[in-house]
Amino acid sequence: MSGTITITFEGEPVEAREGESLAAALTAHGIDAFRTTRCEAERGLFCGMGVCQDCLVEVDGKPNQRACMTRVDRPLSVRREAHARPLAPAMQGQPPATIGDVEVQMPEILVIGAGPGGLSAAIAARRAGAQVLVVDERSQPGGQYFKQLSVGAEAGPPPDRQHREGAALIEEARSLGVELRSGVTVWGAFEPNEFAATAAGRPLRLLPKAAIVATGAYERGWPVPGWTLPGVMTTGAAQTLWRTARRLPGRRVLIAGNGPLNLQLAAELIEGGAEVPAVVEAAPRPGLARLGALLAMARSSPRLIRDGLRYHAARRSGGAAMVHGMVVAGIEKTPAGLQVRLAPAAGTGAERRYEVDAVCLGYGFEPSNELLRALGCGHDFDPVRRQLVTRRDARGLTDMAGVYALGDCTGLGGARAALAEGTIVGLAAAAALGHAAPAGSRAASRRAGRDLARHRDFQKALWSLYAAPAYSSKLATADTLICRCEEVSFGQIEEALGEEMELIGAVKRRTRVGMGRCQGRYCAPVLDALLAERFGRPRDEFSGFAPRIPVKPVAIGDLAGPGAG
Amino acid sequence: MASPHPVVGEIEVLVIGGGVVGSCLAGFLAEDGVGVALIDDGRIGGSNANAGSLHVQMQSRFMRLYPQNVPGMERQLPLYPKGVAAWQALEKKLDAHFDLKMTGGLMVAESLDQLEFLRVKAARERELGLEVEVLGRAELDRIAPYFGESVVGAELCADEGKLNPLLCNAAIRRWILARGVVLIEGEAAGPIRREGAGFVVETKRGPIRAGRVVLAAASGSKALAAGLGVAIPAEPEPLHMNITEPTSAMIGHLVQHADRMITLKQFGTGQIVIGGGWPAHLAGERRHPTVELASLIANATLAQHIVPRIAPLRIIRTWAGINTAVDGKGVLGPVGPVPGLFAAIPGDAGYTLGPLSARLVAEMMAGRAPGEDMAPFSPDRFG
Repeated sequence: MSGTITITFEGEPVEAREGESLAAALTAHGIDAFRTTRCEAERGLFCGMGVCQDCLVEVDGKPNQRACMTRVDRPLSVRREAHARPLAPAMQGQPPATIGDVEVQMPEILVIGAGPGGLSAAIAARRAGAQVLVVDERSQPGGQYFKQLSVGAEAGPPPDRQHREGAALIEEARSLGVELRSGVTVWGAFEPNEFAATAAGRPLRLLPKAAIVATGAYERGWPVPGWTLPGVMTTGAAQTLWRTARRLPGRRVLIAGNGPLNLQLAAELIEGGAEVPAVVEAAPRPGLARLGALLAMARSSPRLIRDGLRYHAARRSGGAAMVHGMVVAGIEKTPAGLQVRLAPAAGTGAERRYEVDAVCLGYGFEPSNELLRALGCGHDFDPVRRQLVTRRDARGLTDMAGVYALGDCTGLGGARAALAEGTIVGLAAAAALGHAAPAGSRAASRRAGRDLARHRDFQKALWSLYAAPAYSSKLATADTLICRCEEVSFGQIEEALGEEMELIGAVKRRTRVGMGRCQGRYCAPVLDALLAERFGRPRDEFSGFAPRIPVKPVAIGDLAGPGAG
Repeated sequence: MASPHPVVGEIEVLVIGGGVVGSCLAGFLAEDGVGVALIDDGRIGGSNANAGSLHVQMQSRFMRLYPQNVPGMERQLPLYPKGVAAWQALEKKLDAHFDLKMTGGLMVAESLDQLEFLRVKAARERELGLEVEVLGRAELDRIAPYFGESVVGAELCADEGKLNPLLCNAAIRRWILARGVVLIEGEAAGPIRREGAGFVVETKRGPIRAGRVVLAAASGSKALAAGLGVAIPAEPEPLHMNITEPTSAMIGHLVQHADRMITLKQFGTGQIVIGGGWPAHLAGERRHPTVELASLIANATLAQHIVPRIAPLRIIRTWAGINTAVDGKGVLGPVGPVPGLFAAIPGDAGYTLGPLSARLVAEMMAGRAPGEDMAPFSPDRFG
């Protein structure tokens, strides 16, 4: 049973639930503008998973803290963050440190990411006798799929099957003796088996014999006018509010994007009491032509199809319209909230408008392959899914010795495929380190292989059903921000392209696109596509910006560890 | 299929290396009415990775690491204030904003021994014509109230400063494009061979014929020169750099340390750039400059030791740049044994010396007196 904690925001009291994120507490109290930018624009919760760096607030005097990753466990004093605020004077630093001063952990196998794939790999490797450490940035394991409740059960409906399945997997890992460390941000990858992290304000160096990278994915940006306004967030961010903290992104919420997660969110928000006027899907309404894909999905994963039908039923009974073949073309702030403009995905036709307090955008995912790319693991560009795919063998081994990768960070396959892959990769990594295969592992591996094939079929059918037009720069006006962090507009990028800048690095240095805190996660794919289109080049392994460390910002003080401040 | 080469027929001058030296040189030559093409491989550009320090005083790091080069450094020292003046002149000439601030440089000491080292160094530098002075803690606090309690004093060099290379590089690029320089980016040049009175330079998209060739590719010039039988011992020195998220304007100076490797300064964006010579390495087949964890830890924790209030700031990016080490002096001018071949490789702190080096070589190529005794910088000294 958890209680409430009174925090303050700009001096005003806010009742928070113990264990929820600061972002959840503020959102529940109608506070959606967390900071102002250099151009004095307001920003708030966007990705909800620690990558976009837009929800920065000052917490107990410490600048630039991510509200979405800050757990409310004591009465915090929170202030709105301003651009380039002065730092508090300090006279005494910590002593200069060397790498030798940094705490080292040398697990046999390091798993980065405690989502379905990471947990499943850890369990398989541990069963084979390997010593396994799983690290994850969130305050609780489970990842984006098994998001666990962070607040007391009295805050809302009881945990559902997805929660319970995650809890069981976490419990299984723990009971087998897998070491699970939450709150560990892995921000660097150097030599194949050297990773750098911070945990609780201290640096941590991870030197495993083998590493399994299972860092998942994040939602693609959708750069249309107004996409940076407070109240506009990703589908995943809204789902995290509800599934971890039983909080709603707003009273009236429009959900738009591409793919089934949006439908699930609609069902969940309706269950939580929100009004959802419409779920807007970019793909056309499935007709008879797509029956084949539906049948293939029903065959390969009847349970997911049943879930889908359940979400549809919940959507209908909640009064949410299903709109097909339209995309969000712009969002404006109005005195009452946000006005969303929809346009046909095909480009021509009548527009529609909705007045809401929050908009959820779920236009697909980008793999979180930053650590793999920083290590130099090979990738290939998949032109169908428009993303990089990590080069791996059938056991998940990348082209760097001792570095395995699985799940969505290698190119998307969904949570079910990651669970199956985890078994295969975990066993393979343990076997490569000399652990004898445990009893039944061959059968388990075969079963996982069959599951994986089935789920890949499912995904293939799913994405033929949800085939959506790519983001088109026609949706952007000259003022539309492509780079959220550095506030670089489409017009500024067009200007640089007009100076015959063919290399993405040159455009970056010229315009500052991608130079901000999120490391180009949202703008790089858009810019890359623009360059490919303009100069008639295929996108390839070297697509996007050169990977830079830290893959997530790291405080200078956290590299020295705590000391006299 | 690659598009045809933009250089058709023979170009008067091909400059190899599109960093600050090669770009400025191409611009100066074009203003002289010379037909110039500039080729750059576009990946490992030292200037693209530069962090924008304008160095004038002798860097204690070089004095410790390369004591044998101190005479060379001392010979080159008078060029540094002129190098800074050349940057100011260029900013004015291009009517551009370089975020160039001449707020002076501070080399801090954390012990009395270090302060004594600075006193000796400053005395020698004054003999060589620099304007420097050593400040005690109280004097230091009046001009730089941001240091931690461990700092006991500093050497102030009024002529030092900083600029934002992103702004400079973009403005220089616009200038040379407007002057008609043919820009070939993303393509490596070489090998080079003599043909008649000129040269043929091989590239991915076919050979380029040029009347004269300038090696402005920093350490990359070594292999190109070797192919023509000329020794230019320019070595790459990959270095670690960090940049933080922005904060309000606080650090006006270019900050260095008497006994430890660090440079620390704040850009107009409010971001703090921390570097100072911690090693990086060249990784993989592409020899890509790559950072090391040991450098990151040591560099960042030293920064918060000197300026404690930056501890809560987050580093948002690190990268590796390349300094070019020769013998403490630049390699500037005609290559005697190969008529028509020139070198334009500044010595340590090559970005500071970039526009000046380019101007000196351009004057020599135009047959004008550069206004400096160029003999000490001759490429022929390696024999």
